[in-house]
Amino acid sequence: MSEIVMPEVAEDLVSAPFFLRGEVLHGTDVIQTSRDLGVTFATPRIPFDRAVPPRTEVPPLLNVPLAEIIDFLVETGQRLLASENPHMQECIERMCRTHILPRAVVENTARHAAAYLDKRVLMAEVEQNFPDPRALDEWVPKEDFTGRRSFVRAFAPRLIHVLPGNSPGVAVKSVAQGAMVKAINLFKMSSADPFTMVAILRTMADLDPGHPIVRSMSAVYWRGGDEATERVLYRPQYFDKIVAWGGGDAIANVIKYIGPGFQLVSFDPKTSISMVGREALVDDATIDAVADLCSADVMTLNQEACVASRFQFVEGDEAAVDRFCARLHHHIARRAAESGDVRPLDRDMREAVESMTLMDDEYGVWGRTDGRGLVIRSDGPVDFHPINKTANVVRLDSLDDAVKWINVATQTVGFYPFGRMATYRDRLAAGGAQRVVHLGEAGPSTIGNPHDAMYPLHRFVHWMAHEDGRG
Amino acid sequence: MGTAADKLTSLVADPERFAFSAEELRETQVAALDERFRERKDRIKLLGLRARDAGLEEIARIEDVVPVLFPHTAYKSYPESYLMDERWDRLTKWVGTISAHPIEGVPLDGIEGIDDWIARLAERGHFISCSSGTTGKSAMLIASQKDMDWSKVDTVNVFAWGSGVVPARDRLIVGCAPVATVPKNATIAKAQYDAFANPEWPRWNYPVPPITVGSLTAMVVMRKKIAEGTARPDEIAAFEETSAERARLVADAVPATAQFIIENRHRKLQLSGLWSGLWQVAKAVRDAGYGRDDFDPDNSIYVGGGLKRAQLPADYQEYVFETFNIPADRHFQNYSMQELNSGMPKCREGGRYHVPPWIVPILLDKSGDEALGHAEGEREGRAAFFDLSLDGRWGGVITGDKVSLDYSPCACGNHAPSIRDDIARYADLESDDKIGCAGTVDAYVRGVA
Repeated sequence: MSEIVMPEVAEDLVSAPFFLRGEVLHGTDVIQTSRDLGVTFATPRIPFDRAVPPRTEVPPLLNVPLAEIIDFLVETGQRLLASENPHMQECIERMCRTHILPRAVVENTARHAAAYLDKRVLMAEVEQNFPDPRALDEWVPKEDFTGRRSFVRAFAPRLIHVLPGNSPGVAVKSVAQGAMVKAINLFKMSSADPFTMVAILRTMADLDPGHPIVRSMSAVYWRGGDEATERVLYRPQYFDKIVAWGGGDAIANVIKYIGPGFQLVSFDPKTSISMVGREALVDDATIDAVADLCSADVMTLNQEACVASRFQFVEGDEAAVDRFCARLHHHIARRAAESGDVRPLDRDMREAVESMTLMDDEYGVWGRTDGRGLVIRSDGPVDFHPINKTANVVRLDSLDDAVKWINVATQTVGFYPFGRMATYRDRLAAGGAQRVVHLGEAGPSTIGNPHDAMYPLHRFVHWMAHEDGRG
Repeated sequence: MGTAADKLTSLVADPERFAFSAEELRETQVAALDERFRERKDRIKLLGLRARDAGLEEIARIEDVVPVLFPHTAYKSYPESYLMDERWDRLTKWVGTISAHPIEGVPLDGIEGIDDWIARLAERGHFISCSSGTTGKSAMLIASQKDMDWSKVDTVNVFAWGSGVVPARDRLIVGCAPVATVPKNATIAKAQYDAFANPEWPRWNYPVPPITVGSLTAMVVMRKKIAEGTARPDEIAAFEETSAERARLVADAVPATAQFIIENRHRKLQLSGLWSGLWQVAKAVRDAGYGRDDFDPDNSIYVGGGLKRAQLPADYQEYVFETFNIPADRHFQNYSMQELNSGMPKCREGGRYHVPPWIVPILLDKSGDEALGHAEGEREGRAAFFDLSLDGRWGGVITGDKVSLDYSPCACGNHAPSIRDDIARYADLESDDKIGCAGTVDAYVRGVA
């Protein structure tokens, strides 16, 4: 049975235009529903031919020097921040109507995202991803020990990016990365944010409508899993790689189309955790300070991001761990109040938490299920996925016992005390984890570091060899 | 027990029970809800917690009960580690938080698996039924002997009212679906047999291995072990083998059942099952060259549940009726769920599901948080019900179903509230267009079902 969504009165309808290699396409042909909020928005029908340039066309950015691309991105970044930028202003207005997070958080995230468009940041990204970044700009000569010569190029790929709905920052990062590898890019926007990418691209088009970057970018929306669209686009004849954020149904849909010549570069769905050693529980002042650090990680993007900590493995006896829980709750609640984000917990989680309240000889519960911050203490991780300002403190006699809970979905491990990190990093990596960081610093990372256990730009490009025989 | 509630439940066998309008029943229903609330709030721990959170003292209007209705998920709020680690004492304690009767004196030594635990509880008069979630958690619903006795009576009344079939003990009952062996299903099957079957003809049970709560939870536990990385490759291989074997037996059950039906086509049949199984058996019967003309025009059919996400051709209902020569006025269907104790049969004239006097329907918004304040005419929303007949657990349930509830009289002449025959699950209507970088290891799990 399918739900027929009737268009509401026109002024209630948010419109989400598309961007097609420099041109903006408005239209209200299709009424779409945003996830989480159930808000409807209207989009044009996708003009497929305009979104997919033929392979006979050499990618427009191919012979634009990387330095020029980066300059253009940096200029774009400055324009994104400018208060008179009508596209970004309009985008924030519209996003607040479809996004799960409150306005201040959305605005702040958009600002923060633009910071990625910095010359040194972008250069570091390229230099860390490629042993010889010249391969992006030219055919780099090579010679092996037998004297055989060739040229190698990190050739401009054709990419479809399936963007996530939970972080506007990914839009900025994706457009920059797509430009730096000189790709022909088609961005599939998410229903939670069908605006940011188009706003960025329009800002670029205002700078120079004919710039090869602008002519390399298209952004459209379709409902993920829509066969009528995906069967058309997901083909090796049109694209080399699909860069997908997320998992579950979204990836299950994509996998059907993967095959030789059409590869998946997946930023998998991730869960992040904290590990807190007994050194944190020595006295009340330390408990409070470490709990504050821990709350910063829990509350990253109000716990909507993959780096946000969900499970906190804390080493100590129950009484001490409970003191930590109380302070952790205090700091989470404080940060929640500051952000003005109050969303009640979803039903399944509410039920599970209530049941734990009733089994109080086994669990500790600080706070309520009202979306203002909650801490649950248990002997093992809870069944549900802690989200919406919820921390699950797992009490352990030794941090060694936390290692068995590390798995392929574990992204960031926030650690305290910092001095014990090296003791654990091999076991964390063996379990599948990807980053271990100082507690309280889940967000920042060394510029150019691998993401999701890979160097993504290196995987995006089409490595092409021109064999030149023996000299 | 409450007098108002008794007044309503005493209508169980009244042939005119669907004649009462909501308006006529309201005062008694409010009094009955209040009685139930007062009786149970100190006995059902979860209800007590909800009532305290909501600051609820009494039920003065039907809407007052909304904050203390239990979502269907309340019955799956136990930590899965209790099942995985076989912590029967904890699971017993958890069941105690949703039970209306204290769970005492259940011997917990030497329990071998969950089926054994369920048997121990049954010996003490606590009957646990499980919903058949294969990939997610199973709901565990507790019921009392009184609830079992009620089901026995209600199921026969519901079927007789909705189908017009007289309980004359003259039929051969043919099961066309694998049925979970839980106490409620067993009770209903026996009651149906006693009322409608020729006692000389044993019921044909769909020939598949019994689906016990243990076999259901084994899948859930396996999924969890795979996710946590504690399942070893040999374990997964063995599990896959068992699943394949099971799939083969399920596939074999269709031709075996079709063959049995063909051999007994001269008898008056009552078929029972879910649409997917009934359709497959009908197809096998047709493929063997049999159909309408070979069957008794007095045959009957009992269909439980909706499509359960099965993919069938658009005309699956007509196909089944036509194959087995089921008369047009016998197209019985019942709207109910494991969480309730009573059925809502579909009338033959108006094609709508009717709500009996002891079930109070409440239409909620999509989220299930607020009553829509719906009191007349037809309106769409999330269905919630309070089943006043329930004794072993709280009767108030928020379903996952989107329904159209109508307080106007039905074409069949009855004035009871009725539900349109287009019930859908919100979960099936939700967009699956979800993508975000934050997620769980569940996205990496495949191949357990």
